[in-house]
This record gives sequence, C-alpha cells and structure tokens, in this order.
Amino acid sequence: MSFLFLILPPITAALLAGLVRPYRSWVGRVNSLLSLIPIGASLVFIGGALTGGPAPTFGPDELLRADSLSALLMICVSAVAALGLFLGPTLGGEDPYRAAQLRRYQIFVNLFIAAMLLAVSANNVGVMWVSIEATTIFSALIIPLILTKTSVEASWKYILIGSTGIALAFAGTVLAYFDFVNLVGPVENALNWPVLMNSAPALHPEIIRVAFVFLLIGYGTKAGLAPMHTWLPDAHAEAPAPLSALMSGVLLAVAIYAMLRWKAVVDLLLGPAFTNQLLIMLGLLSMVIAAFSMVIQRNYKRMLAYSSIEHTGLICLGLGLGPMGIFAALYLLICHSTAKSMLFLLAGNIFHRYHSTQLSDISGLLKTMPVTGRLFAAGMLALIGLPPFGMFVAELALFRAGFSRQYIWLMVAVLVLLTVAFVSLVRHLNKILYGPIPKGISVGEPFGWRNALLFINLGILTMLGLTLPAPLLTLLNQVVGIVAK
Amino acid sequence: MAPSLFSQLSTLGACLALLYGLLLLWRRNLGSYVDAFQGQSVVLAVLFGVVGYFGHDPELYFVATVFVALKVFLMPYYLRRMQDRFAVERERDPYLNVPASLILAGLLVILAYAVMRPVVTISSLPTRSGLPLALALVFIGLLVILTRKKAFTQVVGFLILENGITLLALLGTYGIPLIVELGVFLDALMGFLVMQIFIYQLHGTFESIDVDQLNQLRH
Repeated sequence: MSFLFLILPPITAALLAGLVRPYRSWVGRVNSLLSLIPIGASLVFIGGALTGGPAPTFGPDELLRADSLSALLMICVSAVAALGLFLGPTLGGEDPYRAAQLRRYQIFVNLFIAAMLLAVSANNVGVMWVSIEATTIFSALIIPLILTKTSVEASWKYILIGSTGIALAFAGTVLAYFDFVNLVGPVENALNWPVLMNSAPALHPEIIRVAFVFLLIGYGTKAGLAPMHTWLPDAHAEAPAPLSALMSGVLLAVAIYAMLRWKAVVDLLLGPAFTNQLLIMLGLLSMVIAAFSMVIQRNYKRMLAYSSIEHTGLICLGLGLGPMGIFAALYLLICHSTAKSMLFLLAGNIFHRYHSTQLSDISGLLKTMPVTGRLFAAGMLALIGLPPFGMFVAELALFRAGFSRQYIWLMVAVLVLLTVAFVSLVRHLNKILYGPIPKGISVGEPFGWRNALLFINLGILTMLGLTLPAPLLTLLNQVVGIVAK
Repeated sequence: MAPSLFSQLSTLGACLALLYGLLLLWRRNLGSYVDAFQGQSVVLAVLFGVVGYFGHDPELYFVATVFVALKVFLMPYYLRRMQDRFAVERERDPYLNVPASLILAGLLVILAYAVMRPVVTISSLPTRSGLPLALALVFIGLLVILTRKKAFTQVVGFLILENGITLLALLGTYGIPLIVELGVFLDALMGFLVMQIFIYQLHGTFESIDVDQLNQLRH
C-alpha cells in the first residue's frame, strides 16, 4: 500500500497540472502539498526496514520492493523533491515564466520525480532501467524552459549523451539476462534483483564482466562520471534552479544506486576486486577533471556542477573501498543531496537578484542578500568538508577505509584533489560574499518562509556532522550488509 | 551438421540489419538515412516473427506488432516530415570522412566479435552467430552519433543503436520480459519525440541543425 502513496502523488500532480488549463497558481500550491505524501511513505518504509523482517513487495511478480537501500534513496528523493516543489518557480510570484511555461514545468518535474521514485523502488532491474531512462526524457524537456542558445545547446547534449549512455546500460542488462536465461531458461521474474543475487554465483564470469563494463559506462554517464560527464555542467547550469537542485541532489544519487545494485550482483560472482578497481579508477579520474575545472570556473552554477562531479567521483571511489568505504560513500551521498539541493536553490536566489551567472558579476552578497549570503557560505563550507558539517565526518570515514586497505598513495591523491577543490571554492566564495555592491543591485532581503525552509538542510548537515543518529546508523549498516555480502 | 534453417535465417537477418546500419556511414543525403532505418526496422520485424515461430513464443508476435507500428511507420513518418523541412541540409563534411569511417566500422565489427566471443562460445542457441553482429550494430550507432555533424543524423544513429540492442535481446534471449519490453518501447517513443522537438528548437535558435556550432558552453 505504501508504494501507492510513494508513487501516485507525483503522478497525480502531473495529471492535475496537465488537466487544468490555463495554468492556475493553486495547482502549484496543491502539488507542493502532494509532494509531502511520498516523504511520509518513505518514512514508513524506513521504519519497516529498521524493525527488520523481509522487505515489503508490491504488484505482480513483486514488481516493486523496498529494502533498506531503497528506503534510504526514497527519503533522499522525496525530501529534495518536496523542497524543490515548495521553492519552485510556481510559488514565488515574481517569476520570469509565463503560464504555459509554468504548466509545462509542473507536468514534467512531477513526472521526473515519479520516475526517480519508481527507479529506486523497482525490484526488476529492467524496470529500474526504464525509469532511469524516463528521468532523462522528462528532465530534458524542462531545461529549455526559456529558449536561449545556451539552454537549447545544453538540452540537446543532455538528451543525446544521456540517452546513448543509458542505452549502453541496457545492453549490459540484456547481456546479464542472456546469461541468466542460458542458465535456467526464460523466467518472467529473472530480472528481479533478489533472483539475480541468488543465481549470481552460477553465472559465467566472462559474460558478467562484459555486462558490468556496459552497465558502469551507462549508469556512470547518468551519474556524471568522467569521461562521460560532459553533459552535466551544461545541463545543471542551464536548468531552472529547482530542477538543478533535483538533478544534482538526487538524480546523480539514483544513478549511483543503480551501479551499486549491479555491483552487488557482480561481486557475488567475481569477488569485489573487479568492480572496486573500475570504480576507483573512474572515481579518481572524475575528481581530477572536476577539481581542475573548478579552479578555472567563471560561472557559479557550473562551479556547483563540477563540485557534483567531484562528489560523484568521491562516492564511487568510496564504493570501491570495501564495506567501510561503502558506509562512508552512502553517508557522503546523503550529505551531498542535502547540501547541493540547498546550494542550487540559493544560486537561483542569487540569479534572481543579480541577473547573471558569471562569478565576475557577483560581489557583496553578504550585504545585498544577508540571509541567502550566509546560507550560501555555510553550504559551501559544508561542501568543501569543514566541520561541523556531515561531509567532514563522511570524508574522514572514507579516508579511514582507504588507509585500512593500504591504499596510501590513492588516499594522498584524493587529499590533494580535495585541497585543490577547497582552495578554488574558498577563493570563489570570497569573491561572491565580499567586495563592492555592483551598480543597480538592490540591498536587503526580507526573512520569509522560503529562506527558512533551507535552514532545514543546514540543520541536517550540522546534525550529521555532530552525531550519527542511531536509526541512520542501523539503516546504513543494513545497506552495507545487503550489498557487501 | 549443417546449420538449421532457423540459424541461417537469423544470421542473414543480423547481416542485413548491419548492412543497413553501414549505409548511414557512406550516404550523405538525410532522406537515405530514413530509408536505411526503415529498411532495418522491417528486417528486425521479420526476425521477430522468425524467432517467434521457431522459438515457439507467440508473445513475440505481439511485440513485433508494436515494433512495426513504432519503428516502421511512426518514427520514419516523423523523420521524413522533419527531413522535408531541412531538405537542403546534407551531411557534407562529417568529423570523420567516409573512407575513414568505413575502415573504423570494419575494426568495430572485429571488436564486437572479440567482445562477444565468450558469449558465443557458451551459448547453444541456434541464433548465437548473429550476436556479434548485433553488438557491431550498437557500435556503428555510437560511431554515427560521435562523428556526424547534423543533429538529424545523430538521432538516426541513436535509433540504429537502439535497434542493435533490440537485436541483441532478440537473438540472445528471444526477447526480454514483456513488461520491460513495453517500458522500453514507451521510453523509445518518448525519447524520440523529445529529440524531435529539440531539433526543431535547434533549428529555430541557430537556424541550422549543425551541432558544431553548439559551442556556447565551455569549461
């Protein structure tokens, strides 16, 4: 039942926006309220997972299933989705969008959210693939909400690279299914994850190795792993702020989730060394490219986007460091969702005031927008891994995992790259916060509920940095137990 | 023992599908790309029937019907309409010229055989000899996307790539579970329609469908 409360609200919201024409502002308000229901459903799943017992399933052939890993992703997706809808362009009042654009936005952003929720609750890895492919299509449609040369370019690159990459992941899925069918004959639920896990040890290593390479390239493209990351800075920078928050905050996490599911299957057959090496390699490469791209960055949204690539890299690297590494990586994933969704929404505020995405045009933010400025500063400090925020703890755990496996040089390289990112982000942040107020920019900012909502993110980040809540600890340990048998 | 009729037919079909894919590399006229894609889709539809008949899987006839509606009628129809709009555009100077593309395509076919060797060795399916050709078709689709300059050509390349994966699934597993198959078709249709919208938007904002002018976003 809870599955219906998880997936139906965003679909209802999309239908509502589609049926009410012309667009009315109450649709936006109703849809924001609807987005709270999946959060409740996710909490129910988390509660169920914490009490133990078999994972709940739903539908014919156990189409949907919610174990601890799914529940963890559900809460990330539904929380960021609600935040994105409440702070979306439809409730602001002074947006640059026309009614038709708002309607299009409401339809597709809700379908996008539904696809992400379906992806993390699908039991069948084929259905998971279908949902992740659908996320590309729905999100691409609302990147060029206002047609400009840059937004059209970004959306074209996104849909072409995204769809091609994800098609390769499907080739990998087909290869794995081929091996399974070869083993036991055609079965309708053969692509169900628990069935795959059970039969994994009997599959053929040669085939599964090829399949995993395809899957890693495919889902890696969606996750923003280098060298398939080229679409990401464009798309994240050109999308409307709440969509950027959703794409960077949770879409990347959903793609990483898909990789983790497959890694678990492959590891049962080949041992973890094979997937670990690939993940560490691509993770490190992503960090190198992202760190140096941040140094030369002139656009603050692209700066945030490259930071997402850096964190995807770090998370994948963590997934390759054994159970402790997986724990740290998931902790980092939660922190990244929280921090990045807040920062992209704040970047939307800044753009609204300064009408520019260029770093050179932004200065004196602390004076012009005191609340946004302080929140942005806190978010950036969290992002670069300073205490008392969650990422500090996560990165510390990741280093411990790496050193305990004797990857000394790898961890030194990671430390150097994190330092490069640290220095360049602090430099950019300084430039934004202080300095003269540019001509024609108004000063002052009322403290309203829109800003107050973002303090939730800051609160979560601080809490995750000061203490590890017992339910979260249990949940993360369960997830590690599931994927690293 | 001589290969069975089923085995011969499936290999023949896979070869034909690959040849249609190669057409994209040496023709320059956008219209001929649509013809190639449509021809290839017809071949695949027939193969669905062949596998359904010899593999005793009536479900495949249903899948074949959806496939025909989508890839033999609907998509080529939209592609032709788009091509009429941009009739003057031709694939004049791709990033990689025709002879080099064809040589590279040859190498990719060899690569596909190398990658699929373990698969073919393990399998005892009568259709197994077509599997490397299906993967080769996936690679050719990638090559077209990466080396051609017109957004239109890239879309056809993507459709060819999708056909390659469909062929892989058909020959390797006699089709994937129905619910996944239908989801894949739905995604393929929506993805195609969105790409089509974007091409019109590209043309509207840049007054051409050349992707090498997409260089506003750097670093």
